[in-house]
Amino acid sequence: MSSQVSSPPLDVEMAGITKTFGSVVACDDVSLTLRQGRIHGILGENGAGKSTLMKILSGLYLPDAGNITIAGSAQHIDSPNTARQLGIAMVHQHFSLVPALKVWENVLLGDTGPLREKLARKKITEVSQHYSLDINPDAKVETLPVGVRQRVEIIKCLVHDPRIVILDEPTSVLSPAESDSLFKVLRQVVSQGNHCVALVSHKLNEILTATDDITIMRQGKVVTQLATSRADAAMLAEAMVGRKVNLPLALPEDRIYHGTADAPNENAAKPPTPPAKSPILSIQAAKACDTNGAVLLDSLNFDIYPGEITAIAGVEGNGQSAIDQLLSSLLRLDSGKVEVDGKTVKTGKPGAFEQAGVAVVSEDRHDSGCVMDMSLAENLFLANPQEARRGGLLQPKVMSARAQQMIEDFSITASGPQALMWSLSGGNQQRVVLARSLTSQPKVLIASQPTRGLDVGAVEYFLDRLKIAAEAGLAVLFISHELEEILHVADRILVLYAGRIIGEMPGQDVDMRRLGLLMGGIDEVPHSGVTHGATSGAAAR
Amino acid sequence: MNWDFFEAIGDVASQSSVYEGGLRFAIVLAFVAAGEWIAEKAGTLNISVEGMLLGGAFAAAAGLHITGSVIMGILLGTASGLIIAWVQANMSHRLTADQFVVGLTLNILVLGVASFLNSSIRLDTTRAHVFEIPWLVDFPLVGRALFGQRWPFYLIYLVVPLCWLLLYRTRWGLEVRAAGENPHAADVSGIHVNRRRRQSIYVAGLTSGMGGAVLLLGQVGRFEDTIVNGQGFIAIAAVIFGGWTLRGAMFGCLLFGAVNSFRLTLPPLGYKINSELLSSMPYLVTILTVAIIATYARPPAALARPFIRDLE
Amino acid sequence: MNQSLRNSSDWFAGFLKDTPSFLKHTLYDKWLVTGLYVVSIFSALAVSALLIWATDGSWRSVFSAMLDGSLSNPGRWGATIGESTPLLLVALGTIISVRAGLINIGQEGQLLIGAAVTTFIAVRIDHPGPLILTLALLGGLLAGALWAWIAAGLKYWRRVPEVLTTLLLVTVAAQLVGYSLKTTTLLLDRSPDHANRNQVSDKIPANIRIPRLTIFGNEFPLSALVAMALAVVLAIWLVRTATGFRLRMLGMNQKVAHRVGVSAVKYGMAAMAVSGGLAGLAGAMMITGGDFGSYTFTAGFSSFIGWEGLLVALVARNHPLAAIPMAFIFGSLRTGSGFLAATGVEREISNVVQALIVLALLLPPAVLYARERRKLLATVKART
Repeated sequence: MSSQVSSPPLDVEMAGITKTFGSVVACDDVSLTLRQGRIHGILGENGAGKSTLMKILSGLYLPDAGNITIAGSAQHIDSPNTARQLGIAMVHQHFSLVPALKVWENVLLGDTGPLREKLARKKITEVSQHYSLDINPDAKVETLPVGVRQRVEIIKCLVHDPRIVILDEPTSVLSPAESDSLFKVLRQVVSQGNHCVALVSHKLNEILTATDDITIMRQGKVVTQLATSRADAAMLAEAMVGRKVNLPLALPEDRIYHGTADAPNENAAKPPTPPAKSPILSIQAAKACDTNGAVLLDSLNFDIYPGEITAIAGVEGNGQSAIDQLLSSLLRLDSGKVEVDGKTVKTGKPGAFEQAGVAVVSEDRHDSGCVMDMSLAENLFLANPQEARRGGLLQPKVMSARAQQMIEDFSITASGPQALMWSLSGGNQQRVVLARSLTSQPKVLIASQPTRGLDVGAVEYFLDRLKIAAEAGLAVLFISHELEEILHVADRILVLYAGRIIGEMPGQDVDMRRLGLLMGGIDEVPHSGVTHGATSGAAAR
Repeated sequence: MNWDFFEAIGDVASQSSVYEGGLRFAIVLAFVAAGEWIAEKAGTLNISVEGMLLGGAFAAAAGLHITGSVIMGILLGTASGLIIAWVQANMSHRLTADQFVVGLTLNILVLGVASFLNSSIRLDTTRAHVFEIPWLVDFPLVGRALFGQRWPFYLIYLVVPLCWLLLYRTRWGLEVRAAGENPHAADVSGIHVNRRRRQSIYVAGLTSGMGGAVLLLGQVGRFEDTIVNGQGFIAIAAVIFGGWTLRGAMFGCLLFGAVNSFRLTLPPLGYKINSELLSSMPYLVTILTVAIIATYARPPAALARPFIRDLE
Repeated sequence: MNQSLRNSSDWFAGFLKDTPSFLKHTLYDKWLVTGLYVVSIFSALAVSALLIWATDGSWRSVFSAMLDGSLSNPGRWGATIGESTPLLLVALGTIISVRAGLINIGQEGQLLIGAAVTTFIAVRIDHPGPLILTLALLGGLLAGALWAWIAAGLKYWRRVPEVLTTLLLVTVAAQLVGYSLKTTTLLLDRSPDHANRNQVSDKIPANIRIPRLTIFGNEFPLSALVAMALAVVLAIWLVRTATGFRLRMLGMNQKVAHRVGVSAVKYGMAAMAVSGGLAGLAGAMMITGGDFGSYTFTAGFSSFIGWEGLLVALVARNHPLAAIPMAFIFGSLRTGSGFLAATGVEREISNVVQALIVLALLLPPAVLYARERRKLLATVKART
């Protein structure tokens, strides 16, 4: 597939790369070498600078300092086009597909030269056969399920026969099985000789199973570089987080799921004993579809009890957003019902859940968590501005006073109560949202991916806050893709798959193998494919 | 009453002059709609086409007055559409001013400039000559309408297919559609979203300017302030009426042309039909259609949303 | 710390918040902002002067005539205030809808409908007096609101974009008014002795007109004071009441608003009704106030007030108090053009000047924003 046999080995050397955004140093004197024929894992937490580094390599960002050498010759990569000419292709964390266009049109997007439909189809067929990635080039992308879209994304990347392939968190929307087949494709790519792959991830297992070399980054710096064969999970976790972690990551090897275990565990089949108390929030046989008719929630059943943290685990895109929206009054159920404290709440009605005492720290704070163009003080009064009313008019003084209190209570870093939300950092915005949620004295607190995009310190703070809230008697629902976080805080774990709960287990002594299988949609019987029945273990109570 | 109406339609439909008039009106709309369609596919609801149309008509009159050449008139008209498009495109997709505001202001500005210059200078203009395409013009009823018009009319046979080819058979068109559907994904794929949007507005300016020139040189012959009188808006309506397909937009133009033709030809035939109602027809029909199709005909997903790249 | 000082800065901060987000970065660089505004307005005037010069006119005499017509001649302030009043009302309506996150650009039509209904009530009900005046004004307001509600209803019922509907309904309104002016049972002048009664209504009876005040020789209708009072009320309502707070929240983030119980439909319909209602009221006050035509309703009665009011709101950055001086400036351009006949330059030039000034006022924030972004981008990457 390529004619570069006689050229020097295709090693990519990045030396002394520094990149700052304003006052934030995203990459600080980073050096990295990708070797021909090997898959290089780049591990790090959110905000460690791995994405920035890869965007520099793919020409999206220009570094402040540093050199890039490819196959022995120095390169100045100043645009994605230059990168493409050098054979660099990147699969982005968020989809770069246009849903309204067909697969072949999407594959051609970002190419140059005249539009050749036939040639494109031919190439797509070639690539999809070569890597056994099944795809219909004439399908509109919007009609494809999320896993298949990722496939299109990979084909779009591979169709140019790139020599250097970069993947940025490619598995966040994939099930374990889909991830495994992706890694097979990557292995096939590098086995052609003059290719190399960089795999950016924050998931230990996938770095351990899929890569040959590992670079660990933390706060913009390279912490360690080593061959995968010499690495183990505990050591990676420690290097990544930078201290002795108290997250359950530093656990013995057998608790880390590798996706291939085969011996069934006898404990798994026993349903955990339900708490004796009556549920404060109860979702019963909830069904909902989106505007295109795709199923979001499919007979969803679960209960939440006061004083405990119930966590919902699962691969992204299995209904987590829908639960978030449902409990934010943004989604109307087609059938089924939601009860809060014994009373049925009308779904989709403006403010219905807020009034019923359900506070939501939502998945996307920019989108539905807070008003970015209002001040910190105003954001604390979103639900009840009348509380700042004295003598018929809202008093900025009253608002500021409460905001000042919150700034102290939740240690929010801001220039003052009048600081506009957009001027706060992500972690501080999230603290404001949490402060607002907790001061409304809710009966239930929903935290949906609350730690997304936050740094380690903020994550820890946030998880601690959830624990404190539960200890104080609040019912907490914690929705997350980060298994480590779930294992850290959960009293009870529910696994969400395809819009329904397909398994439940206690938060202590988690059977990782079963959890992993459940997340892939496989309940109990290994290798039997996806179970839709999901009766054993069971959610319906 | 109802029977009257159908009888009237029957009478009208048997007159070839009706097709001529209707098509003439429709053709001007079609020039504008073809360009506006491209602009909307790229994500701009470009309401300055009204101004582009008027500017094109005025510049065509001025061009003919100065050079005495119809071709120069058409070229100048087209160029003036492009100039207005340049202002709209750069203000809304380079400087990120609101596209509606810029459009409205441009419409007022062009109307002001054109009417000011028109009352300050006397323009001598004539129309282009009629060019009959042999054989085809003898086709019954619609022959004269389609093949016996003044020659600038025939430019439409060039412009509409070109616009379609541009959007569906070139890489530029693919990128334009991507920019209108998912600008962020397009951006990540290495497409200059705002550049494509600006260029698509230039295309709208070119066709609308040309439409204005055709309106003046191919039909009216004398510039007046009221020569356009909302036809740009009707063209926008046609694009939306057509559910953002070129075929649908052209059908909308023909339909609105027919309605206009009824309005003009019914009274001389002795039928009393409320002309105000007929004048409002394009708008009412569009609103109704959109109300009906809103749930299934999908506009370009990023229509009328400015694209600003996130700074991470 | 000095309490009163802090309060005032809080209050000021409240105003800053309401400026569009693109200005936030640059708002503190006052000299740059002022400089840019001066340069761009000057350029607008220069282009106008060039246009006049190109058509063999004298730009000096044009500008001095416009000043005479609007401000410097005795008594012209009154006329200018009279012209500004409907502009201000339309602008206030626009501000309400923008703050609720809706784009109503059909004020021209709402205004026409309002004026038509007011005229109908005033000339067709035989009980003259302040009662009928109130009724007529109220009728105009309601008519404008209902006309805007067509767009609002279609938006929430069938998800038809309101920009489109409001725009298209302008022409429909014009046609409707045109029809009613041809029909004797509706608006057409009934007196058979009027020889030229083409598309003209009856005159509004003298006692159904808005009283006119005279201050220092400047005569203007009472409605001017009403409009200004409304601007002040609106400014306070938006920032200092719970409903105003919710309305702004809806305009800034509809999802958050929904979550905390602000119904987009309820608030949106209300905002649209007020928006259209104020445009209708503007029309009603134009016909009964006396500065437009001579108390008769004609087809071209609106004379672009609806469009220009929209621009006033825009130039005032959607702040009700800023709309007062802006409306006055736009009004003075209108009255100024009335004095152009003597200079031999066509009066259409005032429209050109006006549109150029609006474009000029659009430029500085846009340029500043682009500059700010370029600075940010330069730190991030090379390509724009």
